[in-house]
Amino acid sequence: MQLTQSHEGVSLTQLIVKEQERERRLFQIKVVISWIALFAFLFFLFSGAQIGDFKTIQLDGSFINEWAPFIAEGVVVTLEICFISIFFASILALLAALGRLSHIAPIYALSTFYVSLIRGTPLLLQIFFWFLALPQLGIVLPGMVAGVIALSLNYGAYMSEIFRAGIQGVSRGQREAALALGMTPGQTMRRIVLPQAFRFVVPPVGNEFIAMLKDSSLVSATGFVQDILWRAQKVGRANFHTLEALLIAAAWYWVLTLIFSAIQARLEKRLSQGDR
Amino acid sequence: MSIIRVSHLDKLFGHLHVLKDIALTVEPQEVVCIIGRSGSGKSTLLRCINFLEQPTRGTIEVDGLVVDVQQHRLTNEQKQTIHEIRLCTGMVFQEFNLFPHLSVIDNLIEAPLTVKGTPRDQAIPLAEMYLDKVGLMSKRNEYPSRLSGGQKQRVAIARALTMEPKVMLFDEPTSALDPELIGEVLEVMKQLAQEGTTMLVVTHEMEFAGDVANRVVYMDQGAIIEEGAPSQMFSAPGDPRTRQFLERLLRAE
Repeated sequence: MQLTQSHEGVSLTQLIVKEQERERRLFQIKVVISWIALFAFLFFLFSGAQIGDFKTIQLDGSFINEWAPFIAEGVVVTLEICFISIFFASILALLAALGRLSHIAPIYALSTFYVSLIRGTPLLLQIFFWFLALPQLGIVLPGMVAGVIALSLNYGAYMSEIFRAGIQGVSRGQREAALALGMTPGQTMRRIVLPQAFRFVVPPVGNEFIAMLKDSSLVSATGFVQDILWRAQKVGRANFHTLEALLIAAAWYWVLTLIFSAIQARLEKRLSQGDR
Repeated sequence: MSIIRVSHLDKLFGHLHVLKDIALTVEPQEVVCIIGRSGSGKSTLLRCINFLEQPTRGTIEVDGLVVDVQQHRLTNEQKQTIHEIRLCTGMVFQEFNLFPHLSVIDNLIEAPLTVKGTPRDQAIPLAEMYLDKVGLMSKRNEYPSRLSGGQKQRVAIARALTMEPKVMLFDEPTSALDPELIGEVLEVMKQLAQEGTTMLVVTHEMEFAGDVANRVVYMDQGAIIEEGAPSQMFSAPGDPRTRQFLERLLRAE
């Protein structure tokens, strides 16, 4: 009985919650400190410092100062590729998901064929394919457009599963209620199912976008898209400082990933609070 | 003329024969309750009437609209008739099935707007009238997640009524509710019955059936065993299966 009774105005449960809160905060502080230590160690590895026989990696600071701005210009290109590609990938994924759920055999087949073909071949190969195949048909696209087509098609195939799960996550009762009210299957999908599926779909699509930030670098392999990695390789090779250049590129990809992960986490939190 | 006429209705799920040669009629302004143990096919029967479940064979007639199913594949003409049948039947589900992404008022006007093409400024007063009827005008702008189970079901009833159907189908409307919330839903249904709404109700609420129904239908193992006025059914059931079902129910209470 003593357990549940209040003690100086504060109940035991409140005390326990407070204690857990304190422990959680302490844990977070420890994590932050460890991150800082790991960062310091990482910097040390590239500091060029020498302790006894132990050598760290020597970087050319003047090269970094000179060429970092040039590489940074690629950030806009990388983001541009990703935003456009994730947009078209989402549309393709929705269509592929609807096709996968269709009872019309050719549509179902088209959807599964597309997904299977894309998932069965490497992304880098697909990028080269669009870059090399289209000119044969007399269509010469800027490297950027070929890259966006390749990324959109590739991610669309992978993301179709996300959209399918989102659509199927809307309960059967929702569909039945709409049909019973006289709505057509099309109206039911547009007005009732998809708006609810959208909520399930946003967080995983955010994850795909973050993955795409890095995969978009493969597009630079065609040599005609001046994104972060393309710029890094270009100046690195020309000046025999490829390592420095790649590290700058790596830092940018990491920073972008951190920023968009934070945005995504916030978005996810807000969506989960919505009116379920 | 009967508002609902079901004849020779059969429903099979694979080899499972869940409805066997069902015949049922509902007259205008009549309240008919279907009772029976779970798995007896009562919900399936109700769902066959507006084709949420497609009958394997049989004829469904609602307000003069006839669909005679003899094969699995429906013709376009039949699909059109099914659409019209759905327009003149309102359905209330055990699990409410309110649209969680829409506010209460938007739940009510969604179908009038998209299905009937009613202008917004006409749909809203209509919806408000029915919301008022179920006593939930104060929840007009809330989202379903903020309502209690009983309130959700009352909104679901108002949503069905806003389409102004000729007949209301209730599929165990109180089975998913906490006991203390059942009363408010039954109260609304009673009121509708008194106003002359034609209702076909699948229910386990024997007291409600006794008070409100004009006719009670007892189903067992996919067949209608007997039907009659509630007073006669409850006091002197003709079939031993009905008697056994009612006795077990009384003992449970």
